[in-house]
Amino acid sequence: MNKGFSLFKVFSIPLLGAVFLSATLFAAEEPAPGVKGMNDEEFTPTKEVLEVKYVQMDKPYHMDVESLKGAFNDAKPVNITLQKQDKAFPNGGGSVTSAEVKAVHDGITVYFQITWKDPTRNARTIAVQEFRDAVALMFPLGAVEITSAEHFSPRMGDREKPTNLWHWKADWEADLLVKGELEDVEAQYPNMHDDFNFNPYSAYYHRELITSVEVLSGGRAANNLLSQPGRGRTVEDLNAEGFGTLTTQDHQDVNGCSHYEDGVWTVIMYRSLITQDPHDVQLVPGGNAFFNMAIWNGGEQDRNGQKNISTQWHPATLEKVAWQ
Amino acid sequence: MTLVHNWHLGRRMEYPYFESRPKRQFAAIFNINRCIACQTCTMACKSAWTYNKGQEHMWWNNVETKPYGGYPQSWDVKTLKLIDNGENTWYTDEKDEKLSPYGVYEGDTIFEAASKKNLNQWAVGYIPEDKEWRSPNIGEDVAKSNKSDEYSSLPEHSRWFFYIQRLCNHCTYPGCLAACPRKAIYKRKEDGIVLIDQKRCRGYRKCVEQCPYKKPMYRGLTRVSEKCIACYPRVEGKDPLTKGRPMETRCMSACVGQIRLQGFLDDNPKNPVTWLIKHDKLALPLYPQFGTEPNIYYIPPRWAPRSYLRQMFGPGVDEAIDKFMVPSRERLAVMSLFRMAQAIIFEYKIEEGPKVFETTIHGKKFEMYNDTVIGFGEDGQEIVRTTIEEPIHIRDPKHYNSI
Repeated sequence: MNKGFSLFKVFSIPLLGAVFLSATLFAAEEPAPGVKGMNDEEFTPTKEVLEVKYVQMDKPYHMDVESLKGAFNDAKPVNITLQKQDKAFPNGGGSVTSAEVKAVHDGITVYFQITWKDPTRNARTIAVQEFRDAVALMFPLGAVEITSAEHFSPRMGDREKPTNLWHWKADWEADLLVKGELEDVEAQYPNMHDDFNFNPYSAYYHRELITSVEVLSGGRAANNLLSQPGRGRTVEDLNAEGFGTLTTQDHQDVNGCSHYEDGVWTVIMYRSLITQDPHDVQLVPGGNAFFNMAIWNGGEQDRNGQKNISTQWHPATLEKVAWQ
Repeated sequence: MTLVHNWHLGRRMEYPYFESRPKRQFAAIFNINRCIACQTCTMACKSAWTYNKGQEHMWWNNVETKPYGGYPQSWDVKTLKLIDNGENTWYTDEKDEKLSPYGVYEGDTIFEAASKKNLNQWAVGYIPEDKEWRSPNIGEDVAKSNKSDEYSSLPEHSRWFFYIQRLCNHCTYPGCLAACPRKAIYKRKEDGIVLIDQKRCRGYRKCVEQCPYKKPMYRGLTRVSEKCIACYPRVEGKDPLTKGRPMETRCMSACVGQIRLQGFLDDNPKNPVTWLIKHDKLALPLYPQFGTEPNIYYIPPRWAPRSYLRQMFGPGVDEAIDKFMVPSRERLAVMSLFRMAQAIIFEYKIEEGPKVFETTIHGKKFEMYNDTVIGFGEDGQEIVRTTIEEPIHIRDPKHYNSI
């Protein structure tokens, strides 16, 4: 018994080394289970360049689509072809085939306007079977030059190649409009019985229960931004370095607004060109950038990897400001 | 996909992750024969974990009636259809005590069905709508004349029913964990409890979709999903009542009918849970054909049709019922430990006593001995001592009718 163990100790290190080596070789050839490999074409950015035009504008009092749309008058649109996400489990999407992107900046803030067709407006996710409409922009982090030789995955980045994502959600916009800034379950079920609010003196009689709501709301207690009331924004600022790694940033910098009419979503996302957050993409007037995007159609139960994606990076140039 | 061994199915099966068993596995045994559906377990859980806003539809523990009942409605019928398991075929001619104690399952698991159907996701599943979660026992105890097909459209069963007690099975190969695209669900190495990380969850509801037992639940208020946490603070011994000893969950320890025994599945043959499940094979997994290796085990009811029970608990049903009807000396002793203590019993010992009763059950001789069974805790200290015949205390006549 003892002899066997000491023999194991002697041989275990080279043995384990061989196991790890073969595992590494195997990993180099085969992508992770449930993930299919990508071809060179997808690592090559598209030819059409999005010009982020410099416009002089007074920041409107209300940051809504109506007030901001004038700024995009002279911006040249870029049409982006979207397709089903077919590389990582779960696959899905395919109901939105294209979107139009315009972008401007005023030397301080950058604005991206995305429009796409969606016959249904899904702006609530309270019932278990309901999913939101959403759109995300993705930027590679750090100064990068993306070519077919220098691989940078257009699908959420890769290990050591992180991305910054701006994720606009239709239900976050609806949350902004209600008291307490989070649509409550009564919005979905108006006549529901509620142990906490049916008694007009409940705050007095059930004080301990009421104050425990935060603690017993797992998502809120864990500071999950999706669960928090009063986010004050419609766009989530995130990072990812590959499938399944999406993580909310501690510091949220992006905001947005939207308008839905006649089966068309118009979403504007805006952020300061430069931020102090090292996890944010920095957009410099006169410089270049890359972006990619995805759209979720809540009516088709799109969420997570079930989405409509563009499979290539899109280059963008930021026009110099007048005083440069 | 990798190949992992599932001993319930008696074979290897496809699963997205490698086989990685916990040091000891949270497990429980429910004796269906004794349940009266008083729902004390359900309320014990509710009042501990899901009394809050947005959790109105959540019953991490529930008791439903078979064949009509289902929470969410028809959950099992719908999932069985997805794996095309009308046949439920098993090869039972050869068995291996450890690797295939019930024989070999020849059908598809939820994982294999998804891969066969090229669904491009890890498991088959569906998301029950809010109305399916809303009324946990609706349509169950309805008189036959009032019965419509609104809640179930199974053929009429007029002469039998039984209760089934359900909570998260803390599966060895969880469907929810496989389904989560962000790995927000994890299985603890120390006790095999499966949890949803409330920080990482983004409310995609892939777990709600792909858990065949429908035990992860979406909470509209927080926009993320929640599930049974196996009362992990109690299991870790954090409750002051047991002075640091691992303690049974709320639903287990509240059981009025004494149908429940919770513990850990390990390699100790004198662990009552391990003995009843692996050695005696009295307690069986619920729908083993789903392929998740669930860890809540059931002593099947004596009176329900065997074909129905075989579909629900696999081919071990007949043997288990025979054993339950005429219990052996050791089995009777171990079954006396059900609900005798709140601290988790890790080992038992039997001290032999005199024969007190003898009869014939269905032509088989049954002898009862008044043995003493002792349960020991994790630290080896005695937790409980009981006899087969419960001691009778006769009240002093002077106290009759006095309060």
